[in-house]
Formats: sequence, C-alpha cells, structure tokens
Amino acid sequence: MTNQAQAIAALVETARGNRPQSLENREVEETLNIALALLVELSVANDKIDRLERLVAKLRGEDVEALREIRYDGAVADQRQETTDALLMRVLRILIDPRAQAES
Amino acid sequence: MKVRDVQHAVLPRATADEHSRQNAVVSLRRLLNSKVRSRNVGIFESEAAPAFAERHGRQPQSPEEVRQAFLMSPGYRMWSAANRSAQEMIWVSVGEPTYRDLDRMEQATKELIEAEDKRGSLSLDPSYDPSPEVANVDIHLQPGGYAMNRSEYDIVPGALYECGGNVFSFGQGIGRGDSKAGVILRLLEEEFDGFKPAKMLDIGCSAGAASAAYAAEWPEVDIHAVDLGAAMLRYAHARAESLGVAVHFHQMDASDMRFEDESFDLVVSHNLMHEIGEEKRRAMIRESFRLVRPGGVVIHQDVAIRNQPTLVHEVERDWDTHFNGEVHWNTYATADLKADMIAAGFPEDTVVEHDLTALQGMANNRWYAISGRKPAQ
Ligand SMILES: C[S@@+](CC[C@H](N)C(=O)[O-])C[C@H]1O[C@@H](n2cnc3c(N)ncnc32)[C@H](O)[C@@H]1O
Repeated sequence: MTNQAQAIAALVETARGNRPQSLENREVEETLNIALALLVELSVANDKIDRLERLVAKLRGEDVEALREIRYDGAVADQRQETTDALLMRVLRILIDPRAQAES
Repeated sequence: MKVRDVQHAVLPRATADEHSRQNAVVSLRRLLNSKVRSRNVGIFESEAAPAFAERHGRQPQSPEEVRQAFLMSPGYRMWSAANRSAQEMIWVSVGEPTYRDLDRMEQATKELIEAEDKRGSLSLDPSYDPSPEVANVDIHLQPGGYAMNRSEYDIVPGALYECGGNVFSFGQGIGRGDSKAGVILRLLEEEFDGFKPAKMLDIGCSAGAASAAYAAEWPEVDIHAVDLGAAMLRYAHARAESLGVAVHFHQMDASDMRFEDESFDLVVSHNLMHEIGEEKRRAMIRESFRLVRPGGVVIHQDVAIRNQPTLVHEVERDWDTHFNGEVHWNTYATADLKADMIAAGFPEDTVVEHDLTALQGMANNRWYAISGRKPAQ
C-alpha cells in the first residue's frame, strides 16, 4: 500500500519538461506556490471543521447554526484573542523583524 | 449517460479530505478564471502596452511582441503564476488518491479485463511507438503524459485524465451535465436529420468518456475507439466494462489506422485536433475521410478558442502553449481546418464549421466542430 506522502511523491516524480516561470524572481514564484497550496489546505481544514460542527450539533440534538452562534466572553474570549494574536505574530513575523536587509 | 462525475470501479476512491482538496482547486480555478483572467485584456491596455512602449518607443505589434508586453505587466504575471500553480494542483489533487488507491484499482482493472462476459474489447499493439510529439510532452501538465504505461495493468494516465478533467472542467465553469458526445448527438439531430450510424469510430478517445456515452445512448451501434496510450486504453476499457457499455478500444495512431476503407458510418473526434501537430492533423482528417462510408458523416469537435476578436485576445488565449504544455494549442487555434477537410476529399459544400452551445454550464461555454460528408455513390 502507498501512503499519502508516497502517493504525492509518486505523482510528482513522473512530471516531465521544464517549468516556465511567470514572475521575475524564482523565489517569489515558489513562495506563491506554497501560499496557494496552503490556501487549498486551509479550505480542506475548514471543510473538516464544518463536518465536525455538524456532527457535534447532531449529537447535541440542536441546529448547527445555533452551535455556530455560541459566543464566548470573559476568560474564554481573552484566551481566544491571545491565540489569534500569537497566530498573527507567527505568520507575520517577517514584517516586524528589526534586522535591515543586507547583501548576502 | 452523464459523462462527468460518473461512478465506476476503476475510479480512485477519494477520501472526504481528498474531495475537499479537489473542490478547493475547482473553486480556486473558478475564481482565477472569472475574476482574474477576465482582466487580462484590460491589463494589456493599462499595464502591458505602456510598459512595452516605454522600453521600445512604440506599440507591440507581432504576436511575440504582444506576448513580451503581457509579461511586462505585474498583473498578468501574477495571474499566470497562479494559474500555472492551480493547474499543477489539479494533478496533485487527483494524483494523490490515484496512487494511494492504485493497488485496488489495478486489481479491479484486471478482473474487468479478464472477465469472460465482456461487452467490448481491448486491442493493444506492443509494436506501436506512441507519437513522440504527444507522448513526450506532459500536455496540460498531466504528469507522465498520455502514453505513460509502466506495467501490465497500469491505468494511471486514464485515471488522471478522467479525474483531472473533471476538476479542470468544473473550474472552467463547464456544467456537470455537459457532454461533448451529447453536443454532437444534438448536432446530428438538428443538422443531419437525426443521422444514426450502425458503426462508428471515436478517434483520440482518452479515458473513453465520450465513447461510453455514445454506447449508452446507442446500445445497438458497433462502437470503436482509438488512442495512442496503452494504459489510457486499458483504463477506458475497464471503465466501459464497469459501466456496462460496449466499446471496442484499439491502440493505433490517428494518422494511420488499421481499419479497412469505408468501415464506418460516423467518425468523430473530441478535443483531439488541438493536441496534435499540423501534419498529424491533416493525416488524421484524411484518415477520417478514408474510413467513412459514402454518405457517412465525419465530425471533428474541439475547444472554442479559434476566431479570437483581436491579436491581444489571441495571445492571451495562447498562454496554454507556453505555460500549460499545450504545445499545439496555437497551431490548432490558427489552422485553416476547412482547407484541411477539403484537401482530405470532403466536397466543399459539405464542410461546415459549427459554433455549439454546451449542454449545461456557464452561458459562455461553447464548443467548436467541423463536419463533412462523403458523397453517396
Ligand atoms: C484531450 S484528449 C481527448 C480525449 C477525449 N476524446 C475527450 O474528449 O475527453 C486527446 C487524446 O488524443 C490522443 N492522441 C493524441 N495524438 C494521437 C495520435 N496521434 N493517435 C491516437 N491518439 C492520439 C491522446 O492520447 C489523448 O488521449
């Protein structure tokens, strides 16, 4: 049996020809590819969360919209905010890096 | 029969996550097509032509200059990079379930091919060396291309073509109910007095979606289909058997088919012309004339990218030649197909170009076809 990573590698290894670049810079083009692939993965994760929300709602015998409407405040809201801030810091770290650009 | 999204034994069984991933790629491509690509011609005026004029002191004129100008525009470049990336992700999204589920799919293929009570047949020709102008290229970036054949029960190119084709088409806004065979059946009904063959040929059949659709519509018709790839045909055959329709698949070159003269009442090809070079295309059209019986009908259907309103539109359409492995895209788009049909022997007054609306999908989805009729004796 082939696992998921092996399946992807098997596909990628059969690709032939060259890869024409559209952007002026190869690093940027590859980074764009990674960002778009992550966008697709985010969508996969969102589908999964949606599926789980529906299952939980069903288990609880309530409408999924009602479940999604649950709002938290107080300590839980604070915790969530912290998590969001940390996520943003991780993703946008490069924007706040104090080091100036240097020639390599 | 539905052509897209059909269930059968040799399709990879994608997991829920894999379906989500394919869906996300469909949605990404739909957005790129409808909201981003649609701006390219405008971007040519606002970014590309001015950038070219600044560098060269004049407007771009030749197709090559228009292409260079496009590539000077950041908006165009970003779309192009994203579109290439999305095209590659089509294959990743269908390739992962294919290779993951391959053992089961190959086993199902073996059982279907070796069954005793088959409706159709498969004849492969080990001495045939698939046309290198197609076989050596990953056309529309399908990894391994059409002719890949790695083992006795390999079916990967067929599975990739069918599944990737669905992800591609839905992202293009083509409806789940659309069918190129259906469009041709409608054309036969409307323009050929409901012409119905006793024996027909489908050239360049790939995974056999159209061939199987004809077989489902016309169970009593003797249906033959040709392609160059052994693993592609193996998949098409197993697929047709799994669907319970009768099609006879043959490995042959479209430019040199081993059928007797005047063997068929109807000869069709779907989306083949844009995948082959000029000489092959002319030879394929000559073959279609040779193989159809007097009074019979030939219809070559393909993508509606011909007759663009301006050079800028034409070059914009030509992205696929340069970035999508569609090496013959422009050759097809600018070919004089009417002249090819007449040179093959079809009387001029029988050769007709058709601008066909799709059966379903966005209103601007169209198909091109050219038909000819061999004079009755
Ligand atoms: C875009 S696919 C069309 C598939 C199918 N007819 C459809 O509409 O879905 C083109 C097919 O033509 C086949 N092909 C290309 N050149 C050929 C040749 N010289 N002889 C036979 N088949 C050829 C390719 O292998 C490929 O499967």
